[in-house]
Amino acid sequence: MTGDVSALASGGCHIFSGCGFPAPGLRDFEWKPFFTIGSVGFTKPMLLAILAALVVIVFFWVAFRSPKLVPRGIQNIGEVAILGVRDQILRPSLGRRGDSYLPFLVSLFFFIYIMNVMELIPILQFPVTSRIGFVWPMVFIVYFLYLYLGVKNQGAWGYLKNMIPPGVPAPIYVILVPVELLRFFVFQPFTLGVRLFGNMFAGHLLLTIFTIATWYLLSLSVGLIYAAGSFALAIFVFLLETLVTLLQAFIFTTLTATYIASSLEASH
Amino acid sequence: MNGRGDGAPAEISRRTAAAQGRAEGLNVGWTVFSYLLAGMAAYGAIGWLIGRAVHVPVLLPVGMLVGLAISIGFIIYRYGVQAATTQPRTSAKAQGDDR
Repeated sequence: MTGDVSALASGGCHIFSGCGFPAPGLRDFEWKPFFTIGSVGFTKPMLLAILAALVVIVFFWVAFRSPKLVPRGIQNIGEVAILGVRDQILRPSLGRRGDSYLPFLVSLFFFIYIMNVMELIPILQFPVTSRIGFVWPMVFIVYFLYLYLGVKNQGAWGYLKNMIPPGVPAPIYVILVPVELLRFFVFQPFTLGVRLFGNMFAGHLLLTIFTIATWYLLSLSVGLIYAAGSFALAIFVFLLETLVTLLQAFIFTTLTATYIASSLEASH
Repeated sequence: MNGRGDGAPAEISRRTAAAQGRAEGLNVGWTVFSYLLAGMAAYGAIGWLIGRAVHVPVLLPVGMLVGLAISIGFIIYRYGVQAATTQPRTSAKAQGDDR
């Protein structure tokens, strides 16, 4: 972290010491680059995103490099992970016909989850998805697949026609076209990305506020009581975030599965 | 690859139905939200364009309200009236187990 927060961490900036509360803000989501390639700086979130991808690749490679009929060791965990995504995310939306999308959905779910959960791991302690630039490429991939499958299965005209459900009276079509187009091409992908980003951004900010407040209030004065309260809230937010990190990965992947399902069907 | 045993068919059906309901609920919830935003944005933009042409700025909020009304009407039609007519088909799907 930069600015006032690093000053707080390095020294005795506490309540009643003449030091104002170094409130966290947007600057806590900006990182100095480790090094630059041309005009592009390589920052901590980039490193964490690569690390998240490596964790997913290495874990599943190790789990299934020599799979046994009766699973043992890490293969057990790998199978539970895959079955979890299959039974809770893929099958409810796509049924058995969607099994070919299982590798994509498993990769997506665990990549997002690992990026989210980095918020709670000491030293790393930053959710990559709280930088929206890391979310849009995933939204783009999902939406590209959504459109591609829709056009492939229903044809370009049929796909556009099926955006409005059957049975709608003809004059209503005209009224609905601008709403449907805007919903489909702008607001649906927008909400898909912003929901993940917003939740992780807000969660990290809350965690930072209460952690910094605990340290700031810590002094041999009445501030000690407030510090204890702030610490309790920091623990509460930490526990809440363990749930939110999983939930956001689940929601993103579930919506991806429902989008794929609607592309494969004639009407959605 | 199923490491947790086959389980009773009724229990599997119940779990499948619950998971289907969860996925459907998520999808419908966020689609409805997108409709509300899209309605306001689309007709707000149309209202703004017309208002700019005829120098009546109030057409922007009027357009947004009209768009909101259209969205709400369509949501009621699509997820209320239309969903109610297809309910038996959905229920039958939820009871089955496609494993």
